[in-house]
Amino acid sequence: MSALDIDALREEWIGVQFEEKSFEIEASAMAEYAKACGEVAAAYTDPDDPDFQAPPTFASSLQRGRGLPENFPKMPGLGMDAGKAVEAFGPIRPGPKMSKTHMHDIYTKTGRSGRMIFLVVRMALYDDAGNHLANADTRVVIREKPTGDES
Amino acid sequence: MILDLHTHSIKSDDGRAKVENYCQWIRTRELPIDGFVLTEHRQFDLDSDYSGLASEFGLTILKGAEVETEYGHVLVFGVTEALMAEFDFGNINLPLARVIEACAAHDAVPVPCHPGRARVGMSAHLEEHGVPEGVKIVEIYNGGSRDNEDQVAQDMASELGYLGIGGSDAHIVSHVGRCATRFDAPITSEQALVEVLKAGEFEAVTYREAI
Amino acid sequence: MTIQSVTDVEFGEDLPVFDPDTTLDNVIRFTEAAGWRGPRFTDHEAARKEGLPGALVPGIMSQGFLCAMIHRWAPPAKIVEVDTIFRAPVIVDQTYHINGVVTDIDEDAGRVEVDLTVTNEKGETRVFGTAKVDLPTSAG
Repeated sequence: MSALDIDALREEWIGVQFEEKSFEIEASAMAEYAKACGEVAAAYTDPDDPDFQAPPTFASSLQRGRGLPENFPKMPGLGMDAGKAVEAFGPIRPGPKMSKTHMHDIYTKTGRSGRMIFLVVRMALYDDAGNHLANADTRVVIREKPTGDES
Repeated sequence: MILDLHTHSIKSDDGRAKVENYCQWIRTRELPIDGFVLTEHRQFDLDSDYSGLASEFGLTILKGAEVETEYGHVLVFGVTEALMAEFDFGNINLPLARVIEACAAHDAVPVPCHPGRARVGMSAHLEEHGVPEGVKIVEIYNGGSRDNEDQVAQDMASELGYLGIGGSDAHIVSHVGRCATRFDAPITSEQALVEVLKAGEFEAVTYREAI
Repeated sequence: MTIQSVTDVEFGEDLPVFDPDTTLDNVIRFTEAAGWRGPRFTDHEAARKEGLPGALVPGIMSQGFLCAMIHRWAPPAKIVEVDTIFRAPVIVDQTYHINGVVTDIDEDAGRVEVDLTVTNEKGETRVFGTAKVDLPTSAG
């Protein structure tokens, strides 16, 4: 398989919004999430707390569903999570939310497993009043398999 | 003088350390190093001037680069604009021979780094590409090494007669100084570093257990 | 000592090490809550069939551990940014340590930066990152 043309990929896909979703965040799921991560404060673990909210990294968990744009070229290998970043602008409370997702960056580098392609997908999270609560970035790394290599 | 010869700042795509914070860390934690070299991935940071920080913290702060070749990653010390015109530092498929040739022509020193690491280390490519001409020094202590990667690097250096340096490969502030290189003479410039590397007057050190 | 304001923080300070629960039961609990139910996270055999060394602790869970450590150290903390790079898999049912150190303080702004790492029992870094944390500028 020939190597992907990364410059063409960048030109075509960076900035492209490919998903917009509305959904409900439930207090019980937020609390269980927090406890599993080791949070101990009532603000994260007790839905009855007056300041109850999700830990900021909860925003990353909302990047489910379509991970890449429809019609995005098939990637030449298994995609693995290379890292995540969250910017928190406001507390994530239970209730209705909306998210918009776009392709934020594409780049390559070499690593322990050969040439790697990095895709950065950014999800912006809003509450039902349109307040921007968080950005959550996911960096997916695809190891480009060398031609004829079984590994 | 002891310098960490392999560090990354926020200028590297996966670097998260600000240079000032490296300086503060070294002084606050009283690390046994006198400075460091910023070896950013696939670029040479021509514009940044760290002389103010160096003076403020009493440290030596130099600049180099980490480039990518068919033999894995290579540190380059003594980068000049003339050297930068010889090959594209951003190319992840540089021929090592080209890097070595260009360094020789422009009084710079190439040092394969983490040579014991899979894929991005030189030892993984010897069988396929052979022993490259012109390598004199490799990194035998790397602060990010896992398993026996440093031992593989040391064994290769011993077998092929290479000298060894040490560097932390720090990408975050708290990892600076884990490995370093001891020099007999003070070093205050990239050119002075090149001279002592060429003269072979250095020794790799590791502080990974201590820091 | 728990931190109540930025004035309690010292440059270079180590956050108390946190050893997270990476047991399969807890990871399953997490994936149920987060809606991330892939077998690579919840089944060692299924993960190995994908070429992985075992079931993986999801990256978002490692990220969550890092934040929990910060909140335990400084209960009033508001984490405004957290950025994590995954260097090697974090495997379910293995022991890990979450570490943090303070690498920058802006007392006027009430902002602290922290280096974060997830290390295995050999001290090898599996995940590293940084966080920016806002703290009250005075206690109380």
